[in-house]
Amino acid sequence: MIPGSAVSSRVLFQARNLRKRYRLGTVVIEALRGIDLEVARGEFVVVAGPSGSGKTSLLNLLGCLDEPDEGQVVFAGADLASLSSADKTALRRRQLGFVFQSFNLLPVLSAFENVEYPLWIDGIPRAERKRRAEEALAAVGLGDRMRHRPDQLSGGERQRVSLARALVHEPLAILADEPTANLDSRTAAAIVDLLARMNAERGTTFLFATHDPAIVARAPRTIRLKDGMVGESA
Amino acid sequence: MKFAVIALRNLARHRRRTLLSLLVIAAGAVALILTTGFIRFSFDGLREALIHGGLGHLELMPAATAGATGPDRSAPPAFADWARVREIAESTPHVLAAGAAVYLTGMASKDDRSSAFVGVALEPERERRMNLEVKIRGGANLPDAAPPVGEDEVLLGLSLAQSLGAAPGDTVTITSMTADGTLNALDCRVAGLVTTGLQELDARLLKTHLATGERLLGTDRVSSIVIGLDDTARTEEAGDALARRLLSVSAERLVITDWRARAPFYGQVRALYSGVFWFLGGIVFVLVCLATSNTLLMSVLERVREFGTLLAIGTSRGQVALMVMLEALWLGVVGALVGDGVAALLVMAINAAGIEMPPPPGAAAGFPLQLAVRPGDFVAVVALMTVVLAVAAIFPALRTVRLRIVDALGHV
Repeated sequence: MIPGSAVSSRVLFQARNLRKRYRLGTVVIEALRGIDLEVARGEFVVVAGPSGSGKTSLLNLLGCLDEPDEGQVVFAGADLASLSSADKTALRRRQLGFVFQSFNLLPVLSAFENVEYPLWIDGIPRAERKRRAEEALAAVGLGDRMRHRPDQLSGGERQRVSLARALVHEPLAILADEPTANLDSRTAAAIVDLLARMNAERGTTFLFATHDPAIVARAPRTIRLKDGMVGESA
Repeated sequence: MKFAVIALRNLARHRRRTLLSLLVIAAGAVALILTTGFIRFSFDGLREALIHGGLGHLELMPAATAGATGPDRSAPPAFADWARVREIAESTPHVLAAGAAVYLTGMASKDDRSSAFVGVALEPERERRMNLEVKIRGGANLPDAAPPVGEDEVLLGLSLAQSLGAAPGDTVTITSMTADGTLNALDCRVAGLVTTGLQELDARLLKTHLATGERLLGTDRVSSIVIGLDDTARTEEAGDALARRLLSVSAERLVITDWRARAPFYGQVRALYSGVFWFLGGIVFVLVCLATSNTLLMSVLERVREFGTLLAIGTSRGQVALMVMLEALWLGVVGALVGDGVAALLVMAINAAGIEMPPPPGAAAGFPLQLAVRPGDFVAVVALMTVVLAVAAIFPALRTVRLRIVDALGHV
């Protein structure tokens, strides 16, 4: 925990006065305008809002993928601004998981290899990698599709592989940016069910960005963003 | 699962592009191997032609008459103790034979025609044992035995014979200054016509038996002893061994020069050809580097989002750069191996075809093309192409290292 921080050990993410600006030519766009939030360990939080509301920018800052222009992000008691580039890489590798809208699987690797990858770059021994990757794939219902490459899988299956990859190293939190946007509603509901189940069974914290009202309606906690600010929380 | 495997699979993803890169690399490898083979053939051929054309591997001479490239040809023969030294030389390891030589200059005449000659008197039997080549183009070689007085014979260079209007069987008069400074002349029968392969030399060349040379110059001393070895690569070793032996037995201060010192022409040709080779090699290096760098960069730019994902899930920037480097190294190794295979087939085909090359400048005859390629050349080309591709991958790899993750993830 950083000195002087009032973050309790129950809080996993804390953002204070987060601001992020982008420059598009001569125009400066304020993507985030002073976000304050806290997410507790084990929470399942939906970040909702229309396109351009700042959902992705917020997840990028919380996930250590980008740096704020102003403000502070504290993750598990550590101020992200105080971490070196290598520390941030290690944090993303060990303590965070990512699920992307377009699945972002490596096309040259099989489902098993994609899931095994985070363990491999972290130096986990082969036998343990195999066990954990197989367990993760079985947990998302793809125990029989392990040797398939992404182009041999449906969109829903690819997103399940992506989820298994995010889960396999047992991170503290998974950040999912519009993970159902490229899926039909039935598959999307199944993916959300799966995320909720993982949250309930493993206690992994989920931050889930979406603008799908059907999914927002099912969320135990929703942070609504509008024009880069927290509009209301439920 | 290793980065090398991922790199290989990434190459397999874009078969056509990979194939094109491999072709460029293989073509570069083939060009380098064939050029190396041709240049080495030229070097080896020139070296052996010089040595076996009369230079021999080593030459021993008194220090008093030694010049930078052999004995002073204008000085009278000064080597008195040559017979004993020749015996010592012939008992030195790797020495095939050692033959005495007397250098001559003077005029050759037939009827009303005269021409200056630069000649050498030597021992034909030892010349043969040294594997010194005498290219007879008419008549016969000199007999091994010393000719009796009045029965001296000479070999004339083709162009010299032409200018004198002499043919085998004719008699020419050779005139030279004796060791004590008086003029002497001998009538000699033309035993045969010879060529060195170099027109300018052929216009002045005269060869005769050692006994005739001594008779013409009125001396029993010789200019030098020419030594032939069983292997050119042993020249230095044999020279050192001979020097050690002579140190203890010969009262005369002697100088040993090797063929390289006596043929500065060889060094000049080698420097010229080496310059050409490095220039061509540099062009191949740059071409392969530019072509593959462009392909690798294209491949990186198409996979920006993929690299962003790798970075996002915890791959270090060094590992991502390594992946790009490994793709380049695979291309280099596989492309060079393909080039090696093609080059090996081409070398065999060219060497079997017996292609006749035109005479080089100043030479009288062409030569059959043989590419002198060694196993080490194939290994060197693989190593070189690996380096070329590593250089080519630097810029594409730097592009991945400098990616901003959020920009890369949003890349379309």
